Amino acid sequence: MPFSPLAPVRRRFQHWWQARLPLSDTLALTQRNVYILPTGAGWMLALTLLVLLVASINYQLNLGYLLTFLLAGSAVIGMHICHANLRGLTLHLKAPEPHFMGTSTAFEIQLSSERKAPRYGIALSVHGTGKAPHHWAWTDVPAQGQSGVQVAFRPERRGLHRVPTLTAETRFPLGTFRVWTYWRPAAQVLVYPAPETPAPPLPPGEPRAGGTGSAPSQGIGEFDGVRAYRRGDPLKLVVWKKAAKTLATGTDDLVSRDAQQAQRHELWLDLARAALPDHEARVSRLTAWVLQADRLGLDYGLRLPGVEIAPDAGAAHRRNCLEALALC
Amino acid sequence: MNLRQTLATLPRDARDTLFLLFVIAWVIAPQAGNLPAWASVLAAGLLLWRGWLAWKGRPLPGRWTVAALLVVAVAGTLFTHRTVLGRDAGVTLIVMLLALKTLELRARRDAMVVFFLGFFTMLSNFFFSQSLSTAAAMLVALLGLLTALVNAHMPVGRPPLAQSFRLAGRMALLGAPIMAALFMLFPRMAPLWGMPSDTMAGRSGLSGTMKVGSIAELVLDDSVALRVKFEGPANAAPRQSAMYYRGPVLSGFDGREWRSEALDNPWAVRALPANLQVQGPALRYEVTLEPHKRPWLIVLEAMPEVPELPNMRAYMTPDLQWLTSRPITDVVRYRAVSYPDFRHGPQAPIKHLQALTSLPAGFNPRTLELAAQMRADPALAGAGPQAFVDAALRRLRTGGYTYTLEPGVYGEHTADEFWFDRKQGFCEHIASAFVVLMRALDVPARIVTGYQGGDLNPVDGYWTVRQSDAHAWAEVWMEGRGWVRVDPTGAVSPGRVGAFQRLQAPQGALATAMGTVSPNLARQLRAVWEAVNNGWNQWVLNYTQSRQLDLLKSLGFESPSWQDLTTVLGFLIIAAALGGGAWTLWERSQHDPWLRLLARARQRLARAGLALPDTLPPRAMAREVQARFGGPSAPIADWLLRLERLRYAPQPDTELTALKREFATLPWPAP
Repeated sequence: MPFSPLAPVRRRFQHWWQARLPLSDTLALTQRNVYILPTGAGWMLALTLLVLLVASINYQLNLGYLLTFLLAGSAVIGMHICHANLRGLTLHLKAPEPHFMGTSTAFEIQLSSERKAPRYGIALSVHGTGKAPHHWAWTDVPAQGQSGVQVAFRPERRGLHRVPTLTAETRFPLGTFRVWTYWRPAAQVLVYPAPETPAPPLPPGEPRAGGTGSAPSQGIGEFDGVRAYRRGDPLKLVVWKKAAKTLATGTDDLVSRDAQQAQRHELWLDLARAALPDHEARVSRLTAWVLQADRLGLDYGLRLPGVEIAPDAGAAHRRNCLEALALC
Repeated sequence: MNLRQTLATLPRDARDTLFLLFVIAWVIAPQAGNLPAWASVLAAGLLLWRGWLAWKGRPLPGRWTVAALLVVAVAGTLFTHRTVLGRDAGVTLIVMLLALKTLELRARRDAMVVFFLGFFTMLSNFFFSQSLSTAAAMLVALLGLLTALVNAHMPVGRPPLAQSFRLAGRMALLGAPIMAALFMLFPRMAPLWGMPSDTMAGRSGLSGTMKVGSIAELVLDDSVALRVKFEGPANAAPRQSAMYYRGPVLSGFDGREWRSEALDNPWAVRALPANLQVQGPALRYEVTLEPHKRPWLIVLEAMPEVPELPNMRAYMTPDLQWLTSRPITDVVRYRAVSYPDFRHGPQAPIKHLQALTSLPAGFNPRTLELAAQMRADPALAGAGPQAFVDAALRRLRTGGYTYTLEPGVYGEHTADEFWFDRKQGFCEHIASAFVVLMRALDVPARIVTGYQGGDLNPVDGYWTVRQSDAHAWAEVWMEGRGWVRVDPTGAVSPGRVGAFQRLQAPQGALATAMGTVSPNLARQLRAVWEAVNNGWNQWVLNYTQSRQLDLLKSLGFESPSWQDLTTVLGFLIIAAALGGGAWTLWERSQHDPWLRLLARARQRLARAGLALPDTLPPRAMAREVQARFGGPSAPIADWLLRLERLRYAPQPDTELTALKREFATLPWPAP
């Protein structure tokens, strides 16, 4: 991209401009926050009208005047229709689900209209920076109704972010004007680290502290716990009930019964022990392990600098761990 | 599966493309007659091909195919018109571009280009016709293009075209007032620059020259040349046979062709004074002249005063032609006063009359011989020009001469052939032969072209003069009387002058069938249609600067100018903007009436000294009122509670109007 001396100024202006927008999860579009300018096609239509007018004058065609002025009148009405297409609409962002970094996900936005006429051809997108192309999601909003639209989003950093600035626009009905609005939702979106692929097998467990924990489980008998399938495990050790479930979800992680390890060891996922030099890579590996352990239904604990989550299992525990990883 | 079902199940892209192609075909179709044949065929072929590709879902042709077709189209235009500039070549080219661009409908931009080319093509239709039917067809085309444009901007799903059509119709309907205001007030100006010369190419009718005997077969053109409305009572119009509408006067003759000297050489005719004297009652009338692309007016003989014309000047030549400062390129309307009883020309012989007895040497020897015989005839000798005229007319009446529209091509000696060999022809042969004979007799004579007759449309009282009423007659100079009109065609064919019976142009199959079934109905329908069309001419096509200024005068401007037009237009725009602003404000204030009533109550209480926050519901307000003002305020509290029930109770016990009425009667505490 050629260097433009205006680029920093424009960036600063955009920054200042965006900072002025109020933060809100619900945006009612009024005269004040809807903007309108002619498009390229609009300028082309203006040129067409000019040529038609000159032709009408030069050839003294009264019918030509009629055509020119009717077209111009329709374009003016089209401008109003275009503006009214967006004005009066209410945008509402549904609280976004946490996302994994690197995956393409979507925000769900609800558009509601109280108007007695439907609204057509409304496009929403994350407002890209600079010249990044918009990925528009198109929708119509029925009369006095609602419609939902999913706006594609590809997070770039892990952690807790504000939802990026969104933009809605429409060129309906003639394409000669672009009516648009910017919207900074107040909601925040949590971006989990990207899991490492392919992930190495889970680390071995650590011996239980104090050695006291083994006594109660002694009497339960032969079934004590499960661990990830390892090459060479006898087939009868595989937990086939779980296997059916995991195979159905498309992963082929098999689980073997583990008679001893669970009693003597517990699984700790430790950032310091993930054998990688880069911090982000280690976070990424731990994320993969958390997902793997959760899939296997194992108890696992998470140890991060300054944070320690005791071993547990279940969706809530998984969410806690991923949140801790996202924010570490 | 029938066609309808197939159409309903077509993919959206295919359906939209087919619709757009249909609209484009509709826009181009009226041009077919004006385009070169190859262009019409090529355009139709391209559209059909594109439609077939869309129907079958085939890919579009590559860029090279389109480029090759474009080269063919440009080459064809160059070959046909010898240029790519100018009106006719431009129209051919733009139609070709439009048809070719449909083969390139890939991105949204291409579609927009097609729409804009479509608008140009619509305008180019008006070069050839501005009739009511053309206007109606183009209105449909405009709605079609707008529908396609709206449809192109509905990206979701497969919306029915009727939906887009309704919206397009609404836009056009709401845009119509803007159109009307601009049309009435946009200053009409003269052409910004000279137009390409091809617009001056003659149409049927009068041409300012007359090449005798070159037309083998005259097809009468039924199109309207002018319309005339006489003022005063219904019987104010003169007899049809006395209606001579004067056009170019042809006095120069080279043996084959008669030319108008006033047009060729305006200085030469100055020498002959017009010397027009009128007497008797005046005929006041209004002429609506169809554009004929020539710089002259057509008026009833004889009009002494200059009529008022928009954007141009008119002046009378000594031979009583009314010329204009520029060609009539648009429908023109003017009021005129003519006097059927008039004399003109010099009363005594002057030198310049000699020029009007000259004949080119070597032509028409037998006519010259005939003249010599007549001069030698003792019955005519010394009797003067009137006797010669009578003798010539007698010869035409009794000599076996007939009027025909199919005289065949004449040879070199046109007058000889008419007088002695063929003895048939139409007005130009007869008038030319007559004038040649008169000149051979040393009687100054010339040919006058114009229109004769016309029919009255009983629906609106306008007289319609058609191109088929074009006529040529003679003027003969006689001492003491000046120029005298002689219509030799009347001597040959009384039907041609003044009677309804005339030779009709061949009609189409439909018109023939209709005429056979019910000639009366056909005539009536035609009368109604022409009345409507005439109204269109009067109110739309003839809306010129003078009418704009008339409009301003009726609005109270003393001496309006085009600056005043701009002022009024600007004023309208400002008024519209203010109206829009007011409407926005009003719309903003249009909140829920219930909330407004609550706000009124809140304001009333605030004036009484009880300021309550906006967020307080009526029930809490009632509590506050009771706590502050005690017993006397019980009706207010009750009113507030009923207001609440109106909104939230399953079956409200009151109505908003009742609560509004009560509002004023409540015992509001004094401040």
